[in-house]
Order: sequence, then structure tokens, then C-alpha cells
Amino acid sequence: MRKPRYGLGAGAVAASIILAACQGGGAGNSTSGSSSTPSTSAGPSNSLKIGLVTDVGTLDDKNFNQFSWEGAKKGAADIGAPAPKSVVTTASADYAKNIKSFVDQKFDIIVTVGFALGNDTTKAAKANPGIKFIGVDQGVCVTEQGEPDPSFGCKGDGAKLLPNYQGLVFKEAQPGYLAGIVAGSISKSGHIAAIGGTKVVPAVANYMAGYANGAAKVNPNVKVELQYVSDQPDAKAFNDPAGGKAFAEQLLAKNKDVDVLFQVAGKTGNGVLQAACNANIHAIGVDVDQHLSTPESAKCIVTSAEKKLTKAVSDAIKRVSEKTDKGGTVPLDITTDSIGLAPFYDFQNLITPEIQTRIDDAMKGLKDGSVDPCKPMKCS
Amino acid sequence: MTLKRAVRLLSIPVLAIFLALVVGAVLMILSSPLINGLDPGLPLSAYAALVSGAFGSPDALVQTVVSATPLILAGLAVGIGFKAGLFNIGGQGQFLVGAVAAAAVGAAVSTAGGVVAIPLALLAGVVAGAAYGFIPGFLKAYTGAHEVVTTIMLNYVAIQMVGYLITGPLRAQGATFARSPSVGNAALPVLFGSNGHLGVLFAVIAVPIAWWLLFRTTIGFEVRTVGASPDAARYAGMRPRLVMMLTLAVGGLLAGLAGAGEILGISGYMPAGYSTNVGFDGITVALLGRANPIGILLSGLLLGAMRAGSNLMQIQAGVPVQVIDVLQGVILFFLAAELLVRRIFRIRAARVQVDELQTVTRSYSSQTPK
Repeated sequence: MRKPRYGLGAGAVAASIILAACQGGGAGNSTSGSSSTPSTSAGPSNSLKIGLVTDVGTLDDKNFNQFSWEGAKKGAADIGAPAPKSVVTTASADYAKNIKSFVDQKFDIIVTVGFALGNDTTKAAKANPGIKFIGVDQGVCVTEQGEPDPSFGCKGDGAKLLPNYQGLVFKEAQPGYLAGIVAGSISKSGHIAAIGGTKVVPAVANYMAGYANGAAKVNPNVKVELQYVSDQPDAKAFNDPAGGKAFAEQLLAKNKDVDVLFQVAGKTGNGVLQAACNANIHAIGVDVDQHLSTPESAKCIVTSAEKKLTKAVSDAIKRVSEKTDKGGTVPLDITTDSIGLAPFYDFQNLITPEIQTRIDDAMKGLKDGSVDPCKPMKCS
Repeated sequence: MTLKRAVRLLSIPVLAIFLALVVGAVLMILSSPLINGLDPGLPLSAYAALVSGAFGSPDALVQTVVSATPLILAGLAVGIGFKAGLFNIGGQGQFLVGAVAAAAVGAAVSTAGGVVAIPLALLAGVVAGAAYGFIPGFLKAYTGAHEVVTTIMLNYVAIQMVGYLITGPLRAQGATFARSPSVGNAALPVLFGSNGHLGVLFAVIAVPIAWWLLFRTTIGFEVRTVGASPDAARYAGMRPRLVMMLTLAVGGLLAGLAGAGEILGISGYMPAGYSTNVGFDGITVALLGRANPIGILLSGLLLGAMRAGSNLMQIQAGVPVQVIDVLQGVILFFLAAELLVRRIFRIRAARVQVDELQTVTRSYSSQTPK
């Protein structure tokens, strides 16, 4: 019998696997692949270790995960900490496990992205008072014992019970309202539309309600189509550009005079933007400045209803570093410049001085509280 | 079993894993410029972190076992089907149905004592899973509808059904984000470490029971005979129809138990859009374990270790967790392309009684009981 022949590569890898197995226990300070800290020249002045757990998806989703991650990187750089690490969630069953792996590695700040991680983040914050947690899109809702509240009464005081957990909550109705002002003003037909991922996610429903209310403010006779791609927060709702495109095409075929389309559906919505471009109508992006994040559709994106994720996350990290952080829900709205409209770029000429005045007035009203973006259509 | 035969049986799976690690290493080196510049040492640090994340500490070991639990159960669900010549791709749907049933009943009895609440919630998951597995079994036995097609379709039905239930009748009052109510006292107690829940024991118990049923009972013999040749089994006075329905129902039972264990043992409620890969990973586990309960235990632990260690791999080496999916895919590829593995390593074919891979390939031809 002939001896089995191994390729060179196979042999090398065999050696590497054996070596790997040997040093398995003490691999905690393996540095070979992790020296990308930008501020190494001065040496990290701050030793805080920052980790981020994404929601289901990818780190470069050009949306929620990505811009929270940018925030973590910016926050780390700003306070002089080493570059942050990430764990990408591939199934929602893994949230707790993924948070735990940063806890086990004794990270100092753990950022979790998305409302769906709220329950597990609350539990982890309760169990690990020495670790600071930052939850993006997570309202802190706890019982008087500091546990996740199964009846959602939120009787406990998050700031006192979980001082180590900042829940960042954006007022999505506000940027939605501003987008509605723009849409209602630039629409010639008086018929506009918005496509959301799913009604089940409060952030989506709030954007949509604000949009309808803003449009109604500038044009009381406006017709607003509000439609949702999916009944539940699944891949179809937020991760399916082709499906979003088909959905939008169908909506536009049924409503031929719709001339402004707002998307609130993450990556699915990127397909919505494409459909708007193909139909030669105006589109409005969501969450981030989509003129920059989805350049392929930039030619029809008038503006975007922004949640300034990067700023929010990096600010929260800075507060921890400066020891000025307080626990509980951190509301983020126009008063702290946490939401707004993205620049108009090529569509600046579309925004007449009159429209600009409407936007400015709305912003002023939102700031001083005289304008409620959740009226008449209610937010969730 | 002689040592020689054991080596023969194990050689292909072990070599498939080895080849997958090689492919993974090459991919890591090739993609390393995207992370920190070309780094030939990346596979070394990545695999080191993987091993450390899976076995490096008591916490890591617990996580490995916890991650392996649903994989072992889902692997058994598929593996038992293989023994009867059935390819059950419905593990995902059976898992979800079991999970939602356990979540619903768990919430309903959440204020009862744990001694009552836990068994009731588990029973709900198990019964729902078994019933959902029985459907393709019945269709196969009495109409000849192919189980590959029906189980795949039923996966989608399960996803939509669970979505409806969680956003509709089961939705917790007051929750801004749709989810089922908390299971309260029906939550499985943590027995060891920070998250080693009672459900781990189910997998530990299910493996010997499955082995005993398959190899030491009459019905197990019938299952294996039907798998080898349904016609011969029928001439021998066996009941292929009963065996088909029973095997798929038991598979559903196991997958449902896996789903119930995840909800009651880990999350404590079921959120809308609950996603997992356990049902499909179970196919890999069953193939890698050669459809043998003991093999499934081992391959489930291996894949569980990979899932548990992958986070540390990402944290320390910056290698994305998706690499684990690639490794799993490549393992499957080499298992299916067994001939390729034999060529590379120049080994002769092992003689196995019923080859589960034959089931996979044969299940695309007609095999309807008369």
C-alpha cells in the first residue's frame, strides 16, 4: 500500500492546528492579528476595552450595525482607548451568548445594537455591575428589582437600579416629521408614500407616523400611502433589497401619481430607493445619510431622515470615560442634535426659501415642544 | 466493532473536518489583507482563539455544551430519519413549532410552581414537534408525497405560523416590540456555570435512548430494515408505513424538544423574528456523525464547540464568525464528495450497512411504498 501523500499546504496547516491546540488555553494575549489601533503613536492613554454585539446581519450593512460600529470606533479613538472589537450575530437565538463572550473576556464597555437585544442586555447589566453597557435603540424597562420587566410596567428606576446601562432611544417621529414636511412640500400630485419594514418595530412605526403628520402639516389634503413589507422583523423586512424593490414597484404601479417615496426598511429599503430611481420620482432615505451610504441611488435621494447613530454611540462611550454616564433610558432627540435631516446635495434647488422656512419652523417647534410629531397619527 | 472498522468509519468524517480547516485557513490568509494586511499567521491565531473560546475555561466548556445541546437533538432528529431511509429537512420547522408551543404553554403556566410548569411546557414543545413531524410521515406513507419536498415546505409554513402567533394571539400585552410573554417559572433551572441549563441533560439522555431504540429493539430493527430496503421489509412482514410515520414523528419530537429547550433554557420568551440555524445545522451533524447516535453526539459537540469558540475568534483574531458557516459548508461538501476525500488521502471505501449518504442521494429518486 502506498503512503498517503499530503500537500504542502495541508502539512503546514496540520502543524498550525496542532500548535493552535497546544496554546489554546493561554491564547488570551494573542496579538498577531489585532494591532489596528490608529492611536498607537501616543500609546492608548485609556485602557478601556470596548466590544460591540451587532443585531442579526453584517457589520458593513451600510445601516444600523455599521454606523453604531463607526460610533464605537470613533468613541474609542476619542478617548484614546484601543480599537473596539465586534461580534456579529448570525441568529437571534445567540444574543445572550454573544454578549456573554465579551463579559467573559472582561471587557469594560459593551455596546449592543438593536431593540431586540434589550432583554439580554438588561440581564447582563444586572449580573455584571462592573461592566458598562450601552444599548442602541433600547429603552430601559425594569422591575423594582432591576430585572427585565415581564409585564412592561417599567416600575423600576433604571438610573438607580442599573447605573451601568445606558439605553439610547431616538425619537424617530421627529426626523420622520421633518421628512414628511419635505415630502409634502415637494410633491406635485399631493400623493406620497412610505414603505416600512414591519409595523412591529416601534422605531419603524414612529418614523412612519411622523412622516404622515409632517406631510399633513404642510398639505392638509395630502394622500399618504403607508405600507409595510412584512408582518414580522425578519429578513424580508430589513435584509432583502430585491424584495423591497419588487414591493415598491407594485405600490408605484397601483398608485401611479405617487411622486415621493420614503423608505424605513433598512437594506430592504435600499431596493425601495432603486425602484423610486427607476420610476423617476423622489426618494427619502432613512437612519443615515443615504446619499453617501447608497451612492447608486443618490441621483433620486432628496434627503434622509437621520438618526445620528455614530455620534450617539461615541458620545455614550465618552460619558463612560469621563464618568458622567447615568443609567436608564437616554432620550435622543433634536434638542441634543441627535436627529435631523441629511443635506440635500443636488436637490438644494428643489428646496425653495419657502420650504426651507417650513423646515426651520418645524425644527424650532420640535425643539421647544410646540410641535408634536405624534399627532394626529399616533406613534407606537 | 473491531478497531479496524472503527478507524474506517471515522476516517472520512475526520479527514473532511481536516480538509475544511485547510480550506478555512487558506480563505483566512487570502482575506487577511482586508482586515490588517497579509498575515500568514492568521489561521494560527484564529484557530487558537477558536479552541480557547470553546475549551479554554470552565465557562467556555459550559458554553460549548450549551451550544451543542440543540445541535445534538436536531442531529438525532435527522439521523434517525436516515436510518429509515428518510431525509428529514424539516428540523427547522419542527424546532420552531416546538419552541413556540413551549413558549405559549410556558407563559400560560408561568405562575405555577416549576415542578408543574416545566414539564407542561416541555411536553407542549415535544408534542407539537412530534405532531409537526408526523404530517410529512403520514403524507409519505399514504400518498407517497416525498418527505424532502413536504418537510421543506412545512419549514416555511412553520416560519409564517410562528410569525403570526407571536405578532398576534401570543403577543405580550404592553410590549412595544412583539414577543411572547415571559415563561416565568417554566424557565429551566441553571445547573452549572452561568448558563448550563437543565436542557443539556435532555441531549445527554436522548443519545443512549436513541442508540438503544435503534440497535436493541424490534422497532429499531424494523427502522433499519425499512431503510435498507422497504420492499424486503414489507415481504418480511414489517410495516414500512408505520415505520415512516413513527420515524418522522420521533424526529419531530426531538427537534421540538430542542426548540423548547432553547426557549425555556435560554431566552425565556420568544421574540418576533426569532431566528436560528439549528434545524439545518442538524443535517450537517447527522451526516458528520454518520447517522449513528454516538457519532451525532461527537459531531454535535464539535459543531457546538465551533459555535461557542467563534466569538473569541472574532474578538481576538478579527476573523468574522461567518467563517464557521464556511467550515461547516466545506465539511458537508467533503462528506458528500467522499470519493474526493478518498482520492486525496488514498483510502479504501469502508463497508457500511446503510449509508446515510445513499439516503440523501437516493431520496431524489422514487421510493414510494406500495
